Amino acid sequence: MKKTLLIFFVLLFSFSGIRSSEYSIDKVQVPLTFDNYYTYEMTIAALEKLNKAYPYLTKLEVVGKSEEGRNIYAMIVSNPKTGNELDKPGIYVDGNIHGNEIQATEVTLYLLNYLLTNYEKNNEIKNLVDKKSFYIIPIVNVDGRYHFFKDANTSSSNRGLRRPKDDDNDGLVDEDFPDDLDGDGNICLMRKEDPFGNFKTDPEDPRLMIRTKPGEKGEWTLLGSEGIDNDGDGKVNEDSEGYVDPNRNWGFDWAPKYVQSGSGDYPFSGVGLKSISEFIMKKPNICMTWLFHNSGGMFLRGPSTKSQGEYPKGDVQVYDYLGNQAERIVPNYRYLIGWKDLYTTYGDFGEWMTMLWGTYNFVGELYTHDPEAFQTIGERKKRAKLKENEDSKAMFRGNIEKDRERLKFDDNLNQGKFFKEWKHYKHPVYGDIEIGGWVKMSTRVTPPFLLKDLVHRNASAVLFSAKHTPEISIKISNPKKIGKNLYRIRTALVNSKAMPTMSYHAKYKKLYTEDFLKVSGKGIKVIAGGLLQDKYRDKVIYKEYRPEIQFFTIPGFSKIDFQFLISGKGKVIFKYKSRHGGKIVKTIDLK
Amino acid sequence: MKKKVLIVLISFFLISFSVKGKKEDLEFKNYHTPKDINKIMKDIAGSNKKISKLYEIAESAGGNKVYIIEIGPEVGKIKKTFPAIFVASNFSGINMLSSEASVFLMKDLIEKPEHRKDKTWYILPEGNPDAAWNFFKKPLLKDSRNMKPFNDDKDDRTDEDGFEDLNGDGLISKMRLKHPEGEYIPVEGEKRLMKKADPVKGEKGVYKIYTEGLDNDGDGKFNEDGKGGVDISRNFPHLFKFFTKTGGYWSGSESEVYNLFKFIFSHKEIAMTITLGETNFCMIPPRGGRKGQVDYTKIKIPKRMGKFLNVDVEKSYSMKEIMEIVKKIVPQGFEVSESMVASFLGLGAVVNPLKNDLKFYKEISEEYKKYLKKVKHEKKRLDPPKAKDGSFELWSYYHLGLPTFTMDFWTLPKIENKKKLSDITPEKLEKMTKEEFLAMGKDKINSFLKSSGAPENIKADFIINAVKSGQMTPKKIAGFLKKMPEKKDSKGGKPEERSLLSFSDKNLGGKGFTDWKKFEHPTLGNVEIGGAVPYAAIVPPPEMIKELLNKQVPFIFELTKKISEIKIKSIKIKNLGAGLYEVKVWIENRGYLPYPTEMGKKNGMVSPVVVTLSGKGIKFIEGRKRSLIKNIGGLGTKMVKWLVFSKYPVKAQIKSETKMASRDIRSVVLGGEK
Repeated sequence: MKKTLLIFFVLLFSFSGIRSSEYSIDKVQVPLTFDNYYTYEMTIAALEKLNKAYPYLTKLEVVGKSEEGRNIYAMIVSNPKTGNELDKPGIYVDGNIHGNEIQATEVTLYLLNYLLTNYEKNNEIKNLVDKKSFYIIPIVNVDGRYHFFKDANTSSSNRGLRRPKDDDNDGLVDEDFPDDLDGDGNICLMRKEDPFGNFKTDPEDPRLMIRTKPGEKGEWTLLGSEGIDNDGDGKVNEDSEGYVDPNRNWGFDWAPKYVQSGSGDYPFSGVGLKSISEFIMKKPNICMTWLFHNSGGMFLRGPSTKSQGEYPKGDVQVYDYLGNQAERIVPNYRYLIGWKDLYTTYGDFGEWMTMLWGTYNFVGELYTHDPEAFQTIGERKKRAKLKENEDSKAMFRGNIEKDRERLKFDDNLNQGKFFKEWKHYKHPVYGDIEIGGWVKMSTRVTPPFLLKDLVHRNASAVLFSAKHTPEISIKISNPKKIGKNLYRIRTALVNSKAMPTMSYHAKYKKLYTEDFLKVSGKGIKVIAGGLLQDKYRDKVIYKEYRPEIQFFTIPGFSKIDFQFLISGKGKVIFKYKSRHGGKIVKTIDLK
Repeated sequence: MKKKVLIVLISFFLISFSVKGKKEDLEFKNYHTPKDINKIMKDIAGSNKKISKLYEIAESAGGNKVYIIEIGPEVGKIKKTFPAIFVASNFSGINMLSSEASVFLMKDLIEKPEHRKDKTWYILPEGNPDAAWNFFKKPLLKDSRNMKPFNDDKDDRTDEDGFEDLNGDGLISKMRLKHPEGEYIPVEGEKRLMKKADPVKGEKGVYKIYTEGLDNDGDGKFNEDGKGGVDISRNFPHLFKFFTKTGGYWSGSESEVYNLFKFIFSHKEIAMTITLGETNFCMIPPRGGRKGQVDYTKIKIPKRMGKFLNVDVEKSYSMKEIMEIVKKIVPQGFEVSESMVASFLGLGAVVNPLKNDLKFYKEISEEYKKYLKKVKHEKKRLDPPKAKDGSFELWSYYHLGLPTFTMDFWTLPKIENKKKLSDITPEKLEKMTKEEFLAMGKDKINSFLKSSGAPENIKADFIINAVKSGQMTPKKIAGFLKKMPEKKDSKGGKPEERSLLSFSDKNLGGKGFTDWKKFEHPTLGNVEIGGAVPYAAIVPPPEMIKELLNKQVPFIFELTKKISEIKIKSIKIKNLGAGLYEVKVWIENRGYLPYPTEMGKKNGMVSPVVVTLSGKGIKFIEGRKRSLIKNIGGLGTKMVKWLVFSKYPVKAQIKSETKMASRDIRSVVLGGEK
């Protein structure tokens, strides 16, 4: 009995595997390839293979389990021979927090593959891997990715957590999913012929429809996504997988669902998210975070709400430095501010990182439709003249010109793979209808042949920011005898990179202990010590209590000096410790 | 010798001893430790298995288990058919009486079946056990934080500079030190109290005030980083304040709170919450007046959105209007909800109690006053504090949308005003005629004005003239004076401090306040140690427990009588002929409270009433098998209508169900092509 059950499941599984195989790679091998997508299982296989190929540079951890019990993996890239992982600046990168935003995972896999396969070949990469710690969670919403590949979907569906949720407040839970009526693995659109409908056939491309103007005769009524009214409440597909948006369920500035839909019942009601948050809290060295989504071509920074007010000036400078460079690295992507240029969000992942743990954070919205433009040079120039606000409207409203080009792009570059021709279907409620339109692997998902360019460029933007995490060196002057038993020692701490050792926000809100420099030694006593403001005029602000320990932050591309007056003899130990700047110990001898 | 006596007295006053292995006493002669209370709960659950069950929901940072006890008729059933009341005590960890009240309630419920025959009770007596332990420890220190390690001063060490009981009196008091930078002086008329010197009034500072202890880490600050992390009563999501020293990093950061979220969301039958502790919504309805709430009838659309929505950003719109605009421009098949639009426009949260809810809060507070009069518990006392941002009660009302009540049981008695200069009160004045008033004469009127706190520039002459000319009447004057805030006399200290001193002198034999006494401090030198005894202003002496609870706890049962109760009121079936039948069902809310509250309507957290009609072969012509009623007002009724076709007579069932309130089933016979 057990055996037959097993066979049944194997068959079921392999059947669905065949169906989605054209959307995923055939074989997982190191170096990883990026000409198609990795399913949830293949992503794990890729991580395991990388871990096996580079055991000394990688650690593979299961950080927790999802709502449906799938493992959430993190890969840590750090070289233990060059120091403890937690004493190096940490860069956290994740993807696919929204189940449908799949190419984010490929960016993280590419980054891992790039760091590891180039470690022996490229000095810049070797340097990064030796000096930094990378924390990569390729798939945050593991159930989401699993179901996106396996089930029929639109390119926007299956975004949330698989947490039972009564979306339509009818006392039933998850009772009305979309249905793949024609069994092609996609949820497309339904339309019905209707002279009173709001749409008519596009005269230029009959596969498209355009909205009728007032007074104009219609041809079609759009009936929404493919599906039936499973629960008989008169609405179609109104309560699918529990709509808890995994990027609205975090602890900073969380708001209940009447303020923002999708926030979940309370902060961290998502069990997988909670375990990721716990993983992150054990890595206080993380100072840079990248969270990849699709789509729109944006590098978003906070604040996520207007009421929070702009970030401190010093932090904005760091963001501008990194954000502008990211725009150059990835053409047509825009560096923007969340609440201002997109919309308000409460309880998102990025703000939890920046506001409570003091990291710098970018949300990378992968993919724009620019490569899908199908134009001559002349046509392109004409398009460029269109005002920018028309373009931003198009983002929400759809733009028929763009749609026509995208269809031609699909015809000529994908051989029509991503648009499904309208076909008749007998619907149990609507009767004779047609099903057709863009398939799930279109629209928000990058066509596979463009994938390699996308992952390389975005991973490069991450690498640039990783290079600019704090890098601290310390110089200690020779002791200068200034009394019978009194020496003056000066120290210079230099940060040669753009990011300060503590974000200005973290410093102002006193989120955690600042960097400190502690002077100690068995035979010595620190009599005075303080910030050396002007070394030429010997201007020092001495600290009244505990002069042997100084607290401070080193801004980007700058230096900070201290002066200590020490009596006694023997070894003097200088210990520098910083959450984001690492740990340095130096010793001198007082003779 | 004196010291010893003091210590003995204080231990007697504050500490309850429990004997190992013995059943915990329920005499309410003393305060129970968190351990005692857990034991009591285990005893109850162990010996009343049919009607009670214990849930271990969390373990605090300090290793204390947090328990909830269920008492009711449906113990062990996952799907409940009776509404539940969630009672929680002492989230602040310092309101010790409230935990006793929970224990008192448990005892009552076990002993009196009538209160649990049709209701489930969930009781959490110790919401913040780590902090509650402070009350039973020595030296005595008042602190609401749990034991999560927290680096208060953000130096290189954590929890390294706590308090010390330097003079060995078992209390953490204050130290005052004469210092060139001193800012404090003794209060005129009450030398025991201290206040900040006001240079504008010609006052010069003399003392620096510290908490009792040493500067353990030598950083120049005293007791700035003692043990203790997060105040549980500020760790809930509504109006949670970020970046505070005691509230935690985010709401639900503490296991005591996060696991309570989980518990409450897995018990949808909870229909009311009652928080026992600091505030008293029965006495003072939840306060409003917070800034920043968006009026949904007048929404301004931000410029950048205005462009996209194609609207005039100078105008205001109602939510309905905006919904119409948005529906027209979103892609087909995309359903827009109000909450989506609200979050898109960044409208934010409701921060003030909604009008319709305030109506029942006010009504119930009147009832509460009458109740107190009936049980002869009317002595004037200081107002309980307002609910704190991030408190459980605010979360319960604003996020859960549940009827939320709170009770505090005790504050210090209000001091009777000093001897009145005049025996004329505004109440007497109200009843006077013009002539009677003028007959009082200038001196009497002047002294009366002074005693009722009228502004100094208002003199008898002015008033007499106004009354003579008819501009003023005695009634009007009385009205003005009634609205005047009570005159604050800076002499003798703040009212709370004066109340404490008076209570300490009269009721505690002076043990609520330590007189300032010299002490040789190891680093500060000559200091004086003294000040208010921790908890003396918050926790009444143990001999008062029983009476306070006896009189006040039963009001909880008055509150729970008001829970909404959804029942089928009547059914009317009309044969329309040819097998077609019209079915009308009236669903009533027999309870006083609306289903749900106005806030519950707004936040959509309360599931609708589901009314179903089922029977073999019934075809629905109009209406659906499951019909939803989103809300029914208190004592209100709503109707559901179906048109059905049934060829043959069938036995059908009509069912009304809610997740929290109650359910009802009726059988009817309908059908047949007559």
